[in-house]
Amino acid sequence: MRILMLAAVALSISSACLLYGLSYDTRLLQARVRAQEQAIDLAHRDIAVLKAERAHLGRPARIAPLARAQGLGPASEHQLTGSPAAALASVLAETRRRSASVVQGN
Amino acid sequence: MARTVTHQVPLGSSPVMAKQLKPRTNSVNGPLRILIATSLVGLAFLAIATQLVRLAFHGQFQITTTLNQAVAESFARADIVDRNGRLLASDVEAHSLFADPAHVLDRDEVVEKLSAIFPDLDQDQLRADLANRKRRFVWIKRGISPRTAQRVHNLGLPGLSFRRELRRVYPGGKLAGHVLGHVNVDNKGMAGIERYLDEVVGVEAVHGATLAERAPVRLSLDIGVQHAVEDELRASMKRYQAKGVAGLVLDIETGEVLGSASLPDIDPTTPTMSLQPARLDKIASSTFELGSVFKTVTAAMALDAGLVTPETVFDVREPLTAGRYTIKDQHPAARPLTVAEIFIHSSNVGAGMMALEAGPQRFQAFLKRLDLTEPIKTEAGPVAAPRLPENWHKAETITASYGHGLAVAPLQFAAAVGALLNGGDRIVPTFIKPQPDAEKKRDAVISAETSAEVRALMRRNVTDRYGTGKRAAVPGYPVGGKTGTAEIPGSGGYRKDAVIASFISAFPMNKPKYLVFVLLFEPKPTGAAGGEVLAALNAAPTAGRIIARIGPILSVPPTGVTALGTARASFDAIATAKYETQ
Repeated sequence: MRILMLAAVALSISSACLLYGLSYDTRLLQARVRAQEQAIDLAHRDIAVLKAERAHLGRPARIAPLARAQGLGPASEHQLTGSPAAALASVLAETRRRSASVVQGN
Repeated sequence: MARTVTHQVPLGSSPVMAKQLKPRTNSVNGPLRILIATSLVGLAFLAIATQLVRLAFHGQFQITTTLNQAVAESFARADIVDRNGRLLASDVEAHSLFADPAHVLDRDEVVEKLSAIFPDLDQDQLRADLANRKRRFVWIKRGISPRTAQRVHNLGLPGLSFRRELRRVYPGGKLAGHVLGHVNVDNKGMAGIERYLDEVVGVEAVHGATLAERAPVRLSLDIGVQHAVEDELRASMKRYQAKGVAGLVLDIETGEVLGSASLPDIDPTTPTMSLQPARLDKIASSTFELGSVFKTVTAAMALDAGLVTPETVFDVREPLTAGRYTIKDQHPAARPLTVAEIFIHSSNVGAGMMALEAGPQRFQAFLKRLDLTEPIKTEAGPVAAPRLPENWHKAETITASYGHGLAVAPLQFAAAVGALLNGGDRIVPTFIKPQPDAEKKRDAVISAETSAEVRALMRRNVTDRYGTGKRAAVPGYPVGGKTGTAEIPGSGGYRKDAVIASFISAFPMNKPKYLVFVLLFEPKPTGAAGGEVLAALNAAPTAGRIIARIGPILSVPPTGVTALGTARASFDAIATAKYETQ
């Protein structure tokens, strides 16, 4: 009986120790999870700011004058052809014309 | 070997033993003690458990609400993006400064130093707030930038602290300000699409700066179209010295609004701007007598009822009379006109005669069929209710035929005209991009044949050399439209010096997809408009310029070199290279 009692006490003490260890590990893990969550939250907030900044920098009111300064404008009928083949033919004809003018110049 | 000695002691001879062996007088004492001890331990555990439960249910809230009680919870909102996913509104983290008056040592120092950083701070109010030491929480400034927060922090003043909060930002600035609406200081939607987010999409009540995890709300607006419309309207407002301008681009197949602008505009970050009467949204929040653009409806009614054809002739040389009213054209025709000519020359007499041919009941029924008699609502809020004549007699029928005596919101009118042009299907204007698999129910308001005839009339009004809409012509784009120059009602009648010049148009007219509606409020007879205030000279060219800009954005290629509906047009490499090398 005494042996049993001693064993029970030892078991209680060891389980208490084990429980303390588990609790300690859990708290550590919990702290790590919290840190990770905070890092994710921070990253989310940073992404939100970056998204807003990108949209602000890419707003049409800012891009339009820059594009115009570069000589860009809305597509006109002169820029469009009926098919890729027609576009290619147009490019080849223009290239031939330029080559011919260069040869004549020489 | 150990020896064991056994002492024989007679029972009861030792006093101790005698006491131990004294016969028990109460045999239940032992179990009773155990019971009492167990009960005490149990009660102790019960007390602890009760305390734990109490803390679990009540203790936590008591802790968190001590400071937050005075602070309303904030709301995390979904992003708002345009139809192509470009950001229009989003939440970002911002710092908000508050004070605990009980911990403020020197009130005057706090007020003085903070005023240097925040010049708009109400010093007297802050001093009064800080004087009340019973208050433990006083907001000083909300939604300040990290740099400003750092400056405040560097002051090292006790009693000041920061809270992280969500602030709504609008990266496009004033772009689509009327449609987006605004939020209040707690990030709660108060108007426009922001309110729709609160009422329909849902927002999350949060403490601190926790971002919403909802999917963005995709609007039907196209940022490129919206900017082009606003840009051209702004230029026209200056060119024609108008008090205000408004414009709308509507997809007449789906009812989606691709662009909606009203100038002077509002900044969503400054909600008080929207309270100024001049900055009201003229597209949806106000009604106007739109004038001759309404002849589109009158003509459609007469055509759809089979009362006339485009070639039916009306004698419009003499004025119309209704009671004490006389209706005449500004430039009376010298000969009878066909329905098409009435439309092109914008004859009030001709429109009145068509309306009389139909009669007041039929006219009212047609307006009802086009949803022009009842208030409508969009995601951006309720549209101003139409104002109709109380009694429909001959005079009201005539004036309504050319857009006077009844007032509707431009958005509602645009949706009605869109239905007349798209083959006759009713459309409901929307600011939200519908799901690709959304079912579209066909609800005819006029026949497809009538719709084709109305399209032809509007197209002819732009191509005809006498057409009032000829200045809206855009090279490469088949445009059609109708002008309207409506005098504005004032005290004692209509004001001769103030008009609303408008142009309602659609393109490409062989299969209209987009409707463009432009309104200029009180334009001046500037040199750019030939010294006139006529819509033909100011609103029509404005609409043309808008169409020239938004056509390519909306993937409607100019038709000069390729037929619409054929294979996708390709960019001419040489022409493109020319731009690239400039």
